[in-house]
Amino acid sequence: MNALTAPRRYFEDLAVGETVALGSVTVTREMIFEWAREFDPLPFHLDEEAARKSLLGGLASSGWQTGALTLRMLGDRFLNGIASAGGLGFSDLKWKRPCMANDTISATGTIASLRRSAHHPDRGIMVVDLVVINQKGEEVMTMSLANLVEARAERGA
Amino acid sequence: MTRWYEDIVLDEPFLLGSHSFTEEEIVRFGKLYDPQYFHVDAEAAKAGPFGGLVASGWHTVAVGHRKMVDAMDAEADRLRDLGQKPGVAGPSPGVNKAEFKLPVRPGDTITYDFLVKDKRPSNSLPGWGVLISIISGANQRGELVYRAEIASFTKLRDYRMPFALKAALALSKLPGLGWMARRR
Repeated sequence: MNALTAPRRYFEDLAVGETVALGSVTVTREMIFEWAREFDPLPFHLDEEAARKSLLGGLASSGWQTGALTLRMLGDRFLNGIASAGGLGFSDLKWKRPCMANDTISATGTIASLRRSAHHPDRGIMVVDLVVINQKGEEVMTMSLANLVEARAERGA
Repeated sequence: MTRWYEDIVLDEPFLLGSHSFTEEEIVRFGKLYDPQYFHVDAEAAKAGPFGGLVASGWHTVAVGHRKMVDAMDAEADRLRDLGQKPGVAGPSPGVNKAEFKLPVRPGDTITYDFLVKDKRPSNSLPGWGVLISIISGANQRGELVYRAEIASFTKLRDYRMPFALKAALALSKLPGLGWMARRR
């Protein structure tokens, strides 16, 4: 616990099944190019002609960018309101459909599980299932994120 | 991989190269994509779970992906120099598991490794294979900081498309019909 996280919700305040609407973001061509130049300079993320000829069928964001934009929404709407103590990783990430230029994606997070950490007696592990859809309601990405959360009381205390 | 599916050797490690994470880029990435205090505020981070500023795990992963793309380009150049035609890499359907083992702090240099663990022809995309690859990153002390198991598509060199599929594809390229077929 520190001054910054003291007023936030703690591990004990969370419940499995809690669902949070994480808002939405429109992914522009410029955003796609900017991310691709730094992190994913494949022809189908940098060049519209190459993108049309690729499996994606048009200019689409890097899957990692879709994930990063989702993480941003999760931070703003959820993680910054709880005593988050860092990510442990993620699993079952599925890029189900490309996120095309000018698509608006929105995300929902649901707490899938809560358990005490074996390594840190003062923390718990929260798994959040994330679903990202486009403006047509089609699923673009799903994943499960594991995150440490500070607990008020030590385990067994 | 910029090798044809048939040429990909399992369990052959590739060194993807290294990246040093500066405080400036950790904070820049954090502000854009993972705005938690221990990724964006060095002062506040001192009282946080890591005792200081650390990179977003997603940042570590994104840089590793960049290193892999660069290595694929280098491999394509090498094959061209040998007078061969490089293979075609496609998008990734997903990540089975990614684990952040240790934090990445300003000044840390992460060295990335890659290997293909498994491969099979794709059921959903004729002419393509699915690879299961491991990317991992270790810091300057040789400690593993992250490991991810990633699926990706790569093209088969020796694939002959069945006639029925060729006909369906030709039909799908007709205006109207193709749009209907593609919109699903």
